[in-house]
Parts: sequence; C-alpha cells; structure tokens
Amino acid sequence: MSSTTTRRASSTVAAGTPTPVAPLSRDSALAAEIKALVVAGRRDSARDRFADLVALQQRRAARIAYQYLRDGHDADEAVQDAFVKVFTHIASYREDLPFEVWFTRILVNGCLDLRKARSRRLRWVLPAVPGSETAPREPAARDAGPEETLLASERGRHIADAVAQLPERQRDVFTLCQMAGQSANEVSKSLGLSEATVRVHLFRAIRKLRTLLEHERK
Amino acid sequence: MRHPHLSDDRLIDVCLAHPPAAAERQHLRACGVCEERRASLARLLDDASDVAAAEADAVFTDERLARQRARILERVEQESRQGRLISFPAAHAPSPVLLRARPASRWIAGAAAAGLLIGVLAGHLAHDFTSGRVLPRARVVASPTVAGFQAVSTSMSEEEFLGRLEVAIEGTGGSALRPLDDLTPLVWEVAAQ
Repeated sequence: MSSTTTRRASSTVAAGTPTPVAPLSRDSALAAEIKALVVAGRRDSARDRFADLVALQQRRAARIAYQYLRDGHDADEAVQDAFVKVFTHIASYREDLPFEVWFTRILVNGCLDLRKARSRRLRWVLPAVPGSETAPREPAARDAGPEETLLASERGRHIADAVAQLPERQRDVFTLCQMAGQSANEVSKSLGLSEATVRVHLFRAIRKLRTLLEHERK
Repeated sequence: MRHPHLSDDRLIDVCLAHPPAAAERQHLRACGVCEERRASLARLLDDASDVAAAEADAVFTDERLARQRARILERVEQESRQGRLISFPAAHAPSPVLLRARPASRWIAGAAAAGLLIGVLAGHLAHDFTSGRVLPRARVVASPTVAGFQAVSTSMSEEEFLGRLEVAIEGTGGSALRPLDDLTPLVWEVAAQ
C-alpha cells in the first residue's frame, strides 16, 4: 500500500543540545502556508494552494472514509465535508502538529456522525437505496496492480470478510493504524480514546483477524 | 541464556513498528518458529492494508476523485463568497437621530402604567368580593403535546428529530415502552414481507 504518511523527527533531545528543527511534512507545510494566506486576507491564493492540499490527501481520505462507512456516496460526502471544514477552520490549525492528524480527526468525526445518522435512518425509515454501494469483486484485470490482484484472490476475499466481521470499534482502530498509518498515540487523539485502550482494541482486532482467517483456512 | 519465545502481543508490537530489543532480535534470528510467526503476522497486516486500499480504490476511481476534488473546490469557493459583505456607501447613511426622553414625558408614562395596574387590581378585587358564588376560573393551559409537535414540525430537522426520539427511548421512561417496541414490526420488515 502506498502511504502518504510523512512522520516528523522525534523531538526528544538531550539537555543542552540545540533543538533540531523537525522537518515539516509537505501537507503540514502547505496547510501552514494556506493559513498564513487566509489570515492575510488573500483567500483566492489560499484556495489555489488548497487544491494542492486536497490532491495530496484525497485518496488517503477516501480510503479511510470508505472503510468507516462502507458506502461510496457516504464516503464521498464525508471526504467533501472534511475538506470544506478544514478550509473554513484553517485559521485554527496549529502548525506545531502534523496536518495529517488534525485532518484525520476531522474526517473521522464526520464519518462517525454520518454513521450515526445512517443507523438512525435505517432504524426509523426505509433505506433509500436498497443495498449499499460496495466495491465490485470482479476477477482482476490483466493489467491490475498487486492490490487489485490480491483483492480478487481467495485470500483477499477472506481478509475482506474477516475485517468486515470485526466489532466496530476494533475495525475503526485497525483502519486508522493500518490504513492511515497512524501510531497508537495519533489514533487515540483521533478517536478521543486513551492510548492504552487503542492498543487493546488493536491487539484484539489482529488476534481476531488471525483466528478468523485460520478458521477459514480449515 | 536462551531467550524465551516471543508472546503474541510482543510479536504484534514488533510488526507495528516497535523494533525488537537486541535479545529479541537475536532470538528471532535463531528461532525458526518465532520468525515464522512474525513473518505470517506481518504478511497478514500487509495484506489487510492492501485489500482495504484496493476495495476503496475500486469505488473511488481517478475520475471520481477528480469530480470530488472539483466539487470540494466549488464548495470552498461558495463558502468564501457567503462571507463577503458589501459595505453600504457612507455618504447615504442617515444621520443618527438622538432620541432622548424628556423628564416630563417619563413621568406621564409612569403615571399611566401605575393607573392601569391599579385599575386592573381593583377590578379583580371588586369581582371576587361582590359575586356571591365563586366561579371556577377558566384556565388556558398551553397543550404541551400540540406545542411540542408544532415546534418539532417547524424548527427541527429530520436528523434532530430522530436523535431526540432515540434519546427519549433510551431514557428511563423508555424502558416501560420496550416490550411494546419489540412487538411493533419495523417498517422494512413489513416491506420485506
């Protein structure tokens, strides 16, 4: 999986040594630039730069949202809302934190809200569209990449089914750690859980996945 | 001293970018069983990520992402436009009018209000004392159901309404209605039949 994650250098330094300047990831640098433009009242220039930021984070955002919502339309809406929110609140972005973590938190909160709203709708009214929009599982095309080939294989299907069987919270944590490449600490900030709780959910998810896949093999 | 086998949790930790300690690394190199367990776990995690990415990418094709990007930028532009205020030309602004109440008019208004109050009170007292029987007073009580329903229908969105409904059901009073709720068929169950 190609990851856009660019981690910052560790800030732990020995006393007395000069603090090394942590290299900003490209998205964080862009976000800081957009914030400066918005604060300076140059919204048009900020919007132009924002297009670059969207391009940088969009695929990752779509993958995360899709894992949360399992529906293309809802994921689309969640991603759009998250980006619009980012631009609207860019003035409150703290440059000392990675943009990715801030953005993921906004996205995840939006996904959770949508999921809640959807479960309410399903409880009280008929679903608008029968059957959610899920990824077609067709045989891999001849020029398909390794990810598509894996998805089309039997093992890929088993893995997808096993992930779908995980309890919601475990799947959320697993998604953020594996898909978004976030550390337990970052996931804890995104989901508002303690780091220890995140680790417990993650370990349980992995153990359960392994059990399910072993069971499948038998 | 021979290092014991690595626990499952430790192996998960190792696979999740927590590098093994020197002794553990040495053990992994020497112990085929642990190395095989680690490799299998790492493969599972990689495959799970790849499968999830492929699932999402099958839905979000490049064209769809391009459309989504265009829509985001359009919405951002709309948001920016909404915030722009056109200032009213200063030359046409009316000159501020100073409204200062004179002391005499204040006294007149105060006296009129006091007179009205005394009149109303006196009327009430006279009615209660002179009538031989006490008539039950008609009370106008706003019906909470009607008012509540009107408020819901006018100012509440569907999401908010369903949210409140759920909160009400999950509350203490809702438990009494639970058997009734269980008996009531759900909309889509009926539709399915």
